[in-house]
Amino acid sequence: MIPKPHVDWFALAPVDSLLVAAGVALLCAVLVPRSWRKGVAAGVCGLGYAAAFGFGVALYVKSADGHGVVADAFNRDRLTALATMIVAGTGLLVTGVAYRERAREDHAAEYYALLAASGAGMAFFVGANNLMTLFLALEWFSISLYILCAIDRDRLGGLEAALKYLVIGGFGSAVLLFGSALVYGATGKLDFPGIAAAGAQDNALLVFGLAMLIAGLAFKASAAPFHMWTPDVYEGAPTPVTAFMAAATKTAALVVTLRVLVTAFPANAHLWTVAIAVIAVCSLVVGNLAALVQRGVKRMLAYSSISQAGFMLIGVSANSPLGGRALLYYLIPYTAMSVGAFAVVAARERELGVPVTFENMAGFGWERPLLGISMWAFLLGFAGFPLTGGFVGKFYVFAAAYEHGWTWLVIVGVLATLVSLYYYLGLVRAMFMRRTEDLQLAPIGGSPPRETLLQTAVVTCLVVTVGSFFAVQPLIDLCKHAVNSLPWGV
Amino acid sequence: MIALLGPEISWYLAVAGFLFATGSLGVLLRRNPLIVLLSLEIMLNGANLALIGFSRNLGDGGGQIFALAVMAVAASEVVVGLGLVVALNRKRVTLDVDRLNTLRG
Repeated sequence: MIPKPHVDWFALAPVDSLLVAAGVALLCAVLVPRSWRKGVAAGVCGLGYAAAFGFGVALYVKSADGHGVVADAFNRDRLTALATMIVAGTGLLVTGVAYRERAREDHAAEYYALLAASGAGMAFFVGANNLMTLFLALEWFSISLYILCAIDRDRLGGLEAALKYLVIGGFGSAVLLFGSALVYGATGKLDFPGIAAAGAQDNALLVFGLAMLIAGLAFKASAAPFHMWTPDVYEGAPTPVTAFMAAATKTAALVVTLRVLVTAFPANAHLWTVAIAVIAVCSLVVGNLAALVQRGVKRMLAYSSISQAGFMLIGVSANSPLGGRALLYYLIPYTAMSVGAFAVVAARERELGVPVTFENMAGFGWERPLLGISMWAFLLGFAGFPLTGGFVGKFYVFAAAYEHGWTWLVIVGVLATLVSLYYYLGLVRAMFMRRTEDLQLAPIGGSPPRETLLQTAVVTCLVVTVGSFFAVQPLIDLCKHAVNSLPWGV
Repeated sequence: MIALLGPEISWYLAVAGFLFATGSLGVLLRRNPLIVLLSLEIMLNGANLALIGFSRNLGDGGGQIFALAVMAVAASEVVVGLGLVVALNRKRVTLDVDRLNTLRG
């Protein structure tokens, strides 16, 4: 008789509610009549995400003392709960943005099933407490995302993006897996606290394994030099899926990077802080310089997301509770701004029926004032202007780097911010300072359809982006409690 | 636990590393997406061999269970990959990743 571990179902409730939603949405594909199918599947997916968000809040309240559950494979703590809330909130918004997306309706139910399944994978990923759950959850959400990229089989761009994502994502996972194997060989442990307790920090196998783990996670966070897939995949994937990848995948990957490094490798901090700082600088340089020359808005936002990953990794590299707090705080406005910006791009794309570029965004701010002003706020937020959460987020990560004694990193960050102003403000200029009539563009289907769900999502993102600037103290407290569930060596 | 019979752990690690390197070269250099998917599998199996070798050497079952789970994951990943290749092929695209350049990388 094999002893069964005790399963804390409450800790797994967000994951389970999303899995149930995915299963029910998949059943909708065969059981619900065609005319109702999309509405029902989207409703189920939205409900799943709302339930996951609710369970995340409940877990946050009831998990003040973090501990491992299910034979220590999964962490029930406030860090997991907060990251689950961010992922679930993103998923809920993306469901709203996606609702009017599909031209072909025959795979609508599968679309929402996969969206819920990938969210479940991320909610499991952020709580992983050993290398096995880490790898399995990573593949769980990645495989769902590969299919989501290619869901519209008529679009060659989507298929191409999916195959590129699969090959490069699979390469990244294989690197992560080999790194896990080396760490296991060096310590004999798979769980993070066990790896830290094994005391093998000078073992060459462990150091190699650590490097490969960092590389594998950086692939998922799309940090340079592991970013080459990002622009193509973000451009080729359906825009709501891009929004989900930019916001939720990055959140999950960065939170897990923080957790793995702090929990499993505290004795090697002198190595990984430098490695993460180098990756952050590469991301800032590559992301910002490449974004300067983009004409496609989705590609520009893809490079901008690489540079944002750089800013957030500065918080990780500080290896301090302040840095962790900065990362978690930054993620809240960042996810809102990403989802919002891609939602606005999706709205413009549906209006024009062609890929959105700087040129055909002209006059958008005057035509659709609500979306235009929201986009303006998101872009200023990415650039780190005050009155948006992006300002406080940048301020906090710089403060963390400064406290760590890395003034040079602060200087690189400030320079990168200055460069980024060019392309963020360039898009604002394109939206507001050129007239539509100059371009002779006509919307394909007459006047654009009203999209209540998309506009609600965009307004919610706007509220979070601006609200996180004014509600700094409560949010910072939220992040502080979450970060304190990690075993900081001080 | 039975004492380790056969070659030492370093030999297992050497073969695993060789497989991993072969796979990564295949992913980076080959053009045919089928071969690229095959190379990905070789990389994962290199990692599996390392896991199993270490597991046996340490006398701990965790690595072997991990390897079993990885096999299931690798199978599902390759199913998605082959599905994409078939879908691309139906659109009469040549099977050459260098020609997949609608999205300029």
